[in-house]
Amino acid sequence: MIELISSAWEYFINRQDLMFEVLREHVLLVLWSTFFTIIIGVPLGIAISKTEKLRDIVLGSVSILYTIPILALFGFLIPMMGIGSTSALIALVIYGLLPVVRNSCVGITQVHPQLKESARGMGANNMQLLFKVEIPLAFPVIFAGIRTALVMNFSLATYAVFIGGGGMGRIIMQGIRTFNTGMMLAGILMVVITTVFLERLVGVVDNRIQKHYSLSD
Amino acid sequence: MTREVSVELQNVTKMYGQDKVVNEVSFTVEKGEVFVLIGPSGCGKTTTLKMINQLIPHTSGNILVNGTDVTELDVVELRRSIGYVIQYIGLLPHLTIQENIAFVLKLTKYTKKAQKERAEELIETVGLELSHLNRYPRELSGGQQQRVGVARALAANPDILLMDEPFGAVDPLTREQLQNELIRLQESIHKTIVFVTHDIQEAFKVGNRIGIIREGILECLGTPMEIVKSEDDFVKSFIGQGALFEVFDTIPVSRILEKDVPLVRDNEKVDLADEKLKDWENVFVIGSDGNCRGYICLSDLEKDGTYTLDQVQPLPKTISPDISIKLAVEEMLWGGRTWLPVVDDHSSFKGIVQFRACAGLLDMEGR
Repeated sequence: MIELISSAWEYFINRQDLMFEVLREHVLLVLWSTFFTIIIGVPLGIAISKTEKLRDIVLGSVSILYTIPILALFGFLIPMMGIGSTSALIALVIYGLLPVVRNSCVGITQVHPQLKESARGMGANNMQLLFKVEIPLAFPVIFAGIRTALVMNFSLATYAVFIGGGGMGRIIMQGIRTFNTGMMLAGILMVVITTVFLERLVGVVDNRIQKHYSLSD
Repeated sequence: MTREVSVELQNVTKMYGQDKVVNEVSFTVEKGEVFVLIGPSGCGKTTTLKMINQLIPHTSGNILVNGTDVTELDVVELRRSIGYVIQYIGLLPHLTIQENIAFVLKLTKYTKKAQKERAEELIETVGLELSHLNRYPRELSGGQQQRVGVARALAANPDILLMDEPFGAVDPLTREQLQNELIRLQESIHKTIVFVTHDIQEAFKVGNRIGIIREGILECLGTPMEIVKSEDDFVKSFIGQGALFEVFDTIPVSRILEKDVPLVRDNEKVDLADEKLKDWENVFVIGSDGNCRGYICLSDLEKDGTYTLDQVQPLPKTISPDISIKLAVEEMLWGGRTWLPVVDDHSSFKGIVQFRACAGLLDMEGR
């Protein structure tokens, strides 16, 4: 056991350049995918919160997309988009959509009707109601969705290697293929540690936001 | 002088499906009066109120605000020109008190500085401190939040205020205090207020006129005394037994306050040529600080209107403008007087309350 860990450590020290390269790829992939998830998911969630007919269709669709196993999704994406980081990006955006869309929708719909009415009574138009009342009040819930998507995509991005998307999965895969236990373990430990670290980090931010917003009710 | 009409409803009806929630309701609210709509829950009083600022569109009839049909106005502009107060839940929890008060100003793109200044002005108007401005709603008590609600409604300086059970969510003691403050505030701001409540005592206390609604129909409309004397069975059962005494117990003396009493500054002589003196027996001596030094009987004055200080008699027990007419009458009976001086918290002299004005409330014809 100790041997294994020390071999992983040795690999990590010797191949720092590679380790940081895959980490950079991984982080960039996750950040871009989360960015696109937000850009698509939040407006979509807000839009369906206003129209009940669309809601079931959209939430149903993103739920179905979410349940597709990642390897099957790659099977779809490779013939259409080819191999590379774009396909990996699209896959991650698809998975991230469910929590973001659902939370955005729930966040907006749960804003207390009396608050909305009092804002409308004071003469807020639809846009002002949305941006000055609904979105700020829904923000903690929307952020919780983004948090889920971010952390989930960070660990899912390990699979990106299957589609040529790079990331920390590269180290693990290469370690497995070449029977290099040290390399494999170094990759695994790095994924675990960075995921836990990220989870903690967004957790702290989330707590701050929830605390600030617990003024509501 | 013809009275200006601020809000007028003409045969206004609201249908939900086949249900007539509000049925052919007509009334006018005069400028500067407090008009109370009251009735059992679900009677349509809140719906009626919300139709005035078109939060609920009416089905038929006409609603006029300052003479213009509301359907001809832009709803957003209409709402911005009318203050709206609801139970304290209406404060936006993610905004500070200052941002809450200035919310309407923010919507209409006032400068930050103007918003701050207005918020500072209003927080004091409603009796809170400047330090409250940076707090959040949840850090304030229910009564304080409600005061912020009133301040917020006043922000854009509207002529008309709509208040939907504004004091419904606070404890009875705070409610009474808020009612007194509203009455006092109204003395200086003279807004047209449409006030919805289910509490008949509150209606008697704050309302110049009261409209009782049952199942969407305006059953009865009049001053508190007219309501009390109504022969209508529903009205009788709604306001309950002994309502007459309740009215005396709730209406504040400020309602029958005589402000136009003859005054003289100390060190000045009384102008005996003043027409006003004919109806009075006494002249009140006011110091430079606005406090009343006492009063002089007209018969004690020299022919040229001068008097000496020892002729000035000290005021009898004074009363606050908030106390009820019942208490004032009790005070008069115990003290064996026919009038009492009214003095506010800052001990400035407001006028007097006369026994005959109290008794006059009972008079069918007199208002």
